[in-house]
Amino acid sequence: MSGDMLGWALQETTSLVSRFLEGLAAPKGVVDFLVLSFMLFAIGVLGVLSRRNILIIFMSIELILNAANLNFVAFTRYWQAMGRISENMGHVFVIFIIVVAAAEAVIGLGILIALYRNRRTVAIDEINLLKW
Amino acid sequence: MEVKGAQILFYYVLAFFVLIMAVSLIRARSAVHAALYLMGTLIGTAGLFLLLHAEFVAGAQILIYVGGVVVLFIFVIMLVNVREEVTEATRLFTRQEVVAWVLVGAMTVATIIALRREANLLPSAVAPAEETALAFSEDTQQVGSALYTRAALPFEIASLLLLVAIVGSVLLARTRRQEETFD
Repeated sequence: MSGDMLGWALQETTSLVSRFLEGLAAPKGVVDFLVLSFMLFAIGVLGVLSRRNILIIFMSIELILNAANLNFVAFTRYWQAMGRISENMGHVFVIFIIVVAAAEAVIGLGILIALYRNRRTVAIDEINLLKW
Repeated sequence: MEVKGAQILFYYVLAFFVLIMAVSLIRARSAVHAALYLMGTLIGTAGLFLLLHAEFVAGAQILIYVGGVVVLFIFVIMLVNVREEVTEATRLFTRQEVVAWVLVGAMTVATIIALRREANLLPSAVAPAEETALAFSEDTQQVGSALYTRAALPFEIASLLLLVAIVGSVLLARTRRQEETFD
């Protein structure tokens, strides 16, 4: 009985590993780019939620925006290869996201400089004047 | 859109490079190192854009992000730099670090499982005529004409946004003495 269980577990593990290896060697479709982009997004969210330094929080926001850009470009390529669309409006969206990200970084860093001049700190848990 | 052959190798190299750089970014002790890791992430993403035949976007990414935003970050680090983070005694993370790890981990596992499961439902795109049709410079031309025709109004609004951002940042970052002198 336990031998059966062991054999079953071994078989399952082997098939899982072989499927994983097949996935590694298979042509990369849109989903692989989506998974990569999601991992970038998750790392960015982790940075925003856990770091104390406000500068590194800003950099993590850039990571999140970059993950969104990767999604736009991957889907544009996907739909173009499907033959559904001929223009690439996704790229135009990416240009606008880059512009808005630059504006956001400029304003945020301006606020940061004003804040540093008044409070002499960049640690977000010491900036608690409005905390209830 | 299938990325095949030697491009698979590029996909893996760039993907691991980008992820390692991103993890190093959120774990970096010094803000200058974090800025350099951000630069690595952005360059790696530009490589992925090239892999997806988005040449203009890759160029814009390098020019604006790496040449503009990262340099801006480094300037601000120079202005506000706190040396205390470099010493071992300072905490790098807030107290909600564990909660953040758990939430992000759960979200990651759920989403990746869901994406992998739905992957078979997405029709795989194989259009051989289309694959070779895009010449190297055609992408830039298409993006340019789209910016001036279909996206003309957002284009103008973006220029207005940049103007507001410039004026606003100058207004925010000036000192008390400058305010008194020029008001």
